[in-house]
Amino acid sequence: MAQQRAGQKRKVVEIPLAEQVEDDVLGNGDFDEELAEDEGSDGDEEFDEDEEEDGDEEDSDEEPLSEDGEDVRQQLRDLKTSSSVEIVDPDKDPDTDLATNGTYTPEKRPADLSNYDISVDANGNPRYIYKDIEPNYDTDDSDAPITKNTIGNIPLSYYDAYPHIGYDVNGRCIQRPAKGAALDSLLDSIDIPAGWTGLTDPATGKPLNLSREELEVLKKLSRNETPGDGYDPYPDMVEYFTGKGMEEVMPLSAAPEPKRRFVPSMHEHKRVMKIVKAIKEGRIKPYKEPTAEDLEKEEQEQEYAQYDVWANEVPRPDHAMNMPAPKLPPPGYEESYHPPPEYLPDKHQQEEWEKQDEEDRTRDFLPKDHSALRKVPGYAKFVKEKFERCLDLYLAPRVRRSKLNIDPESLLPKLPDPAELRPFPDHRSVEYVGHKGRVRTIAIDPTGDYLASGGDDGTVRIWELSTGHLKQKVRLSTTDPVNIVAWRPVISPPILAACCADNVHFIVPTDSTSPTAQAEAHTLLTAGFSAAPTIPTKSATGVDKPSPSSWHTPIPAHASQSISLTLSLRSTPKTLTWHRRGTYFATVCPSSGSPSTAIAIHALPTHTSQHPFKRLKGLPQTALFHPSQPKFFLATRQRVRIYDLQAGKLVRELLPGARWISSLSLHPGGNNLLIGSYDRKLLWHDLELAPTPYKTLRYHTRAIRDVAFHPTLQLFADASDDGSVQIFHGKVVEDGFENATIVPLKVLKGHRVRGELGVLGVVWHPREARCVSAGADGVVRMWA
Amino acid sequence: MGKIKKKGTSGNAKNYLSRSQAVRKLQISLPDFRRLCIFKGIYPREPRSKKRVSKSSTPSTTFYYAKDIQYLLHEPLLAKFRDQKALAKKISKALGRNEVGDAARFEKNLAPKLKLDHIIKERYPTFVDALRDLDDALSMLFLFANLPSTQNVPPKMIARCQRLTMEFEHYLIRTHAVRKTFLSIKGIYYQATIQGQDILWLVPYRFVQMAGPDVDFRIMGTFVDFYATLLGFVNFRLYTSIGLVYPPRFDLKSEEQGAELGAFQLEGEQMEAQAEAVGMLDVDAHDKAQAQADRLLEEADPEQIGEPQSSYMTAPETAEQQDTDMDDTLVPADQSQEGTSQTPLAALDEFASIDPKADTLLQPGLTADADVAGKLFEPFTFFLSRETPRHSLEFLVKAFGCKRVGWDNTLGEGAYCNESDTRITHQVVDRPELPLPSPPPTDGEDEGEVVSSKSNVRVPGRTYVQPQWVWDSINAGKLQRADLYAPGATLPPHLSPWVKPKKGQYDPTVPLAEQETALEAEQEAIAAEEGEDDVDEGSSGEEVEGVRGDEEVEALEHSLLSGNAITQGEGMDVALADSDSESELEAEPIEDDEFGGFSSASEVDEEESATTAHQNELLAEARGETIDEPKITKKTRIAAAKSRQTKAEREEAEQKERQKMMMPRRKRKMYEKMVYSNARKDEEAEELREKRRKIEKGKAGRA
Repeated sequence: MAQQRAGQKRKVVEIPLAEQVEDDVLGNGDFDEELAEDEGSDGDEEFDEDEEEDGDEEDSDEEPLSEDGEDVRQQLRDLKTSSSVEIVDPDKDPDTDLATNGTYTPEKRPADLSNYDISVDANGNPRYIYKDIEPNYDTDDSDAPITKNTIGNIPLSYYDAYPHIGYDVNGRCIQRPAKGAALDSLLDSIDIPAGWTGLTDPATGKPLNLSREELEVLKKLSRNETPGDGYDPYPDMVEYFTGKGMEEVMPLSAAPEPKRRFVPSMHEHKRVMKIVKAIKEGRIKPYKEPTAEDLEKEEQEQEYAQYDVWANEVPRPDHAMNMPAPKLPPPGYEESYHPPPEYLPDKHQQEEWEKQDEEDRTRDFLPKDHSALRKVPGYAKFVKEKFERCLDLYLAPRVRRSKLNIDPESLLPKLPDPAELRPFPDHRSVEYVGHKGRVRTIAIDPTGDYLASGGDDGTVRIWELSTGHLKQKVRLSTTDPVNIVAWRPVISPPILAACCADNVHFIVPTDSTSPTAQAEAHTLLTAGFSAAPTIPTKSATGVDKPSPSSWHTPIPAHASQSISLTLSLRSTPKTLTWHRRGTYFATVCPSSGSPSTAIAIHALPTHTSQHPFKRLKGLPQTALFHPSQPKFFLATRQRVRIYDLQAGKLVRELLPGARWISSLSLHPGGNNLLIGSYDRKLLWHDLELAPTPYKTLRYHTRAIRDVAFHPTLQLFADASDDGSVQIFHGKVVEDGFENATIVPLKVLKGHRVRGELGVLGVVWHPREARCVSAGADGVVRMWA
Repeated sequence: MGKIKKKGTSGNAKNYLSRSQAVRKLQISLPDFRRLCIFKGIYPREPRSKKRVSKSSTPSTTFYYAKDIQYLLHEPLLAKFRDQKALAKKISKALGRNEVGDAARFEKNLAPKLKLDHIIKERYPTFVDALRDLDDALSMLFLFANLPSTQNVPPKMIARCQRLTMEFEHYLIRTHAVRKTFLSIKGIYYQATIQGQDILWLVPYRFVQMAGPDVDFRIMGTFVDFYATLLGFVNFRLYTSIGLVYPPRFDLKSEEQGAELGAFQLEGEQMEAQAEAVGMLDVDAHDKAQAQADRLLEEADPEQIGEPQSSYMTAPETAEQQDTDMDDTLVPADQSQEGTSQTPLAALDEFASIDPKADTLLQPGLTADADVAGKLFEPFTFFLSRETPRHSLEFLVKAFGCKRVGWDNTLGEGAYCNESDTRITHQVVDRPELPLPSPPPTDGEDEGEVVSSKSNVRVPGRTYVQPQWVWDSINAGKLQRADLYAPGATLPPHLSPWVKPKKGQYDPTVPLAEQETALEAEQEAIAAEEGEDDVDEGSSGEEVEGVRGDEEVEALEHSLLSGNAITQGEGMDVALADSDSESELEAEPIEDDEFGGFSSASEVDEEESATTAHQNELLAEARGETIDEPKITKKTRIAAAKSRQTKAEREEAEQKERQKMMMPRRKRKMYEKMVYSNARKDEEAEELREKRRKIEKGKAGRA
């Protein structure tokens, strides 16, 4: 391949193209060329000698090896550092030929025309072959560098695979210097050139030669000797300006000495005289070295108190901000070196103590028993403990804390003995079972013999209170629940009002009353039909106002169930409360469209109804008549308002602080109001006191559904969704000098909670200490 | 509309400063601030609302009272601190220039000397105030007096602490002011009463104290500086108040020989003392007289003192040679002597309460009186054996009246006598056992003759006691039985004199039976009774169905428990059946407990069940059947006792619950906290009682 390439090159050289190139590439191209040529010729001259010498051998060597040229190259590669002799490659020959050719080509054509030849390359394109620059005197270019390294800053090893290293300006390979075992004979035959080191100059890949002098210097340097023969590292100092015999003889200035050098200073004299005077007067004491005695005295003065600080002591008045450090508590039994054996920790306690973090320990030491004083070791943490005390004294914040050293029992309020407060219901006595679904409402008739109950099954049942015997069952509806049952608060004749859907039904109990009483009741209820019909009121627009209610005889299905009268309202009443005389009653329908129509007061004898409140703030929840005065209590969700019915105005407004009032109950005395709320509060209002509650009781975990004062005894109860009824003693002193006392008495548990609902209603027996509660579990219970 | 108030300009925000604010205000470094705070007794406060006080968003931890810091601004020490800082700069500059001589001169001449006198006066306006705060001071100084000198603790400081503490001890010896003392595992506690103030301090045992790496001796050093100044002034006041010269003469040579307390020589100031005596309190006057008497005693020849002592000694010697017997005769003799001497001194009478229910007032201990305290060890001559803690024993014995204390020469100079001295009445030893000399000793013919040269043989005529005897005698206010404290004997437990017996708390001095609760006692009795035939412990904790009987049954059971012999007759049969059937019925409400803890129902049921049970029995009797006699196991009986307890408890708990309902929440919380802490204390006491019961049982078992 090498030969082939050489042949190609030869071919290129051999076919000279005489054609002109159209234009010059560079004006000064010829200078470069000349210089290059000149240097190249220098190099050639060097090689020439070798060439002539080994021309024959080279040829003879090359022929057998031509087949495995690769081997040669490999050897050359291996010997790249060891081979030092510059041997001209056989490939070099054409180059030298070319160079010689180049030298005579300018003779053929003028040099100024072109500095390159144009030939055709393998593809038929023109190829410019630049001539070597001859650096003769015609060229100005003397600075052109010798082409030493044309490969740039890359390692030489990149060319390991090639026989050449880089290319010259004409793209010809710059041949690697010859090396290899094949050349060994040649090496033997020739002398090692002077200065041969066997090293390769990494920049050129050419051998690095050193002269003998240079080698000598290197050798000396490596032996830490002085590099040159005549070099003295410690030459004697040459004293050019100082030293013996060189002293300066003449002063710098020739001026005469001033007079002040010879005359005593007046100012100094003055200063000295001042000091002398001060010493004479005793103002300045000459320094005296303190004797040991003096020092000792001084020290003692420092260390020992010399006087009584508290000679005239004035006590300081105590100040709240002055807090003396608390004293450490005296040691207990367990700190003894020989404590009673019960104070010693057992294994378990010891382990526990050791496991604990140092800060968590209740005690900072472990009690230990030593049978004799001599066996007591030193306490390892003594210094630490004292140090921590020091830290406490100056770092720990101090605060005054009053410590109550009293029996905790003395904190408990004095409550009357529950035995003194008897009777109060404390156990179940009778169950009234029969309702399907929740029992929503219950009522005990004024005689205290019968109990009415109404529930989700749409029936009103009248029970005998003492036995639980069902006396009468009135089905008001099959779909709607009975929301309210309320006995007319007059003993005779007995009338029961029951609210179901939008209707209020008036039931005359049949089973429990005499026929005369029934007749009496019937006439009382129906008397209103004969009364003059009310003139329908006109609204401002002249249109008839819809009447708030309609009174009519009951439908036959109801009439057969001893219902004598039905009152239809425009929405579902949730509260029905009778006036104490039984002539009036009020209904509250919270679901009514406007607040003003939610409340209606009805007159039974005349069968009239009216909405007394024109404008009402808030949604009304429940209402009450005052037992003795013409007052009306109306609870909206968050307020309770007291109206004077005669004067027709608002008397008072209470702020219970509850979110949603569920029920009201007025003390029979009329001055104390109980409010139950869905947000679990039971509020006692003393109406003579502030509009805020006198007591707020929170003992239920769920909403309070109902509250009730006992009509005669000092008891009250509340029913809650947590399934409990709580009984309290509430003593009210009417003279107004004493606040009411409230004593919790009993928590009655028995009702089950069904669907988050527990006890829905509670009523008291009119005279006895019994109460009846209606549960969401469908059971009515009496507690006695 | 009023002016809008700016935040942090009034109220608590202005009353408190954080530490960094305080340091900035005083313009000193933090270490200087620390020193200043220690000297001036300024401490951080805990404001009521930290949030309102702190002006920064980060939670600051320490707050100082603004007025405290304001007051520090005018402190003369601040100027001294600044001088010190300037000096430090000068010295470091000199050292930087390599002028060591200058630096040394600066340090020697320019170092500002801190004087804390004015601070003492400020912090303790009256002497009593200073006495009240002496606890920590004494503990610290005693600790430093026992520390080895290191780089942080210069020997000068140690020497100063030693001198001050020993001067204080000398005062206590003079006035017999020590009241109580206690050997703890940490060290020795002493309590003295000076001018009505109880001062309690702790002295470490004489071992090399190890200080951990986290102990900052600079802080402690600052405290010691202050405390030393304080104790110096206190000592001055105390010494002058009993007519002594302060500082007392200090013999450096004997101190080097290890004389300790003996290196000081107290001197009276006759002229001044008389002048001061007018203004002095009665006690002081008495003390002074005592001091003068002491001096006279000291001046007298030792032989002269020895004579009465020896004559006193001869009586028991001739009477009996046996050691133990001698003790017995000796002790009452002492007491009788004390008794006679006490009567004219109008010592305190004992008030014994007639009604055990009435409140008992605490009385001061027997040694509360200086006269009594000063006579406790007066007639004796002590010899301290080599292994005993000499300093504390010497101090205590002297403080309680003894004038003649000798010790082994190896313990230091200044012993009154050596071991062979015949005047010695009590020898304090701390050795395993000392045998009696086998041959009967020749009765001391010559006084000075060496009775026995061996130190490990008892010398007849002396009482050998362990050191605890001294402490226990002091705390009890009278001499304890020496035979209990003989060498090698197992010592009685050493008890702290400061624990006041409280009702319901465990008291190791009282027998167990007197302090256990009724329930415990009952359980114990049952357990003990039962324990004879079957040993089945651990069942006491088990829960058994409640057996609740009416009073009749209870009475019967009681009589059973108390061990009355009842024949297994009908009456018992019925009674037990009663209780048993009841227990079955009792279980009912638990079974059908669908009402979720309906408490009242069970009570009603109870009555009903009682009647039905009785009916059942009658029926059974009529039919001629016998109801199986149930086994009265220990379990059931303990359970019975418990249930009886629980019934009453339950009622009480119900009542309390009701009362709690009526309390305001804040009060209720406080109440609950108190109940909790009391319960914990009770628990602890119960645990201790339990342990003691076990120990006693173990002892009984061994015996």
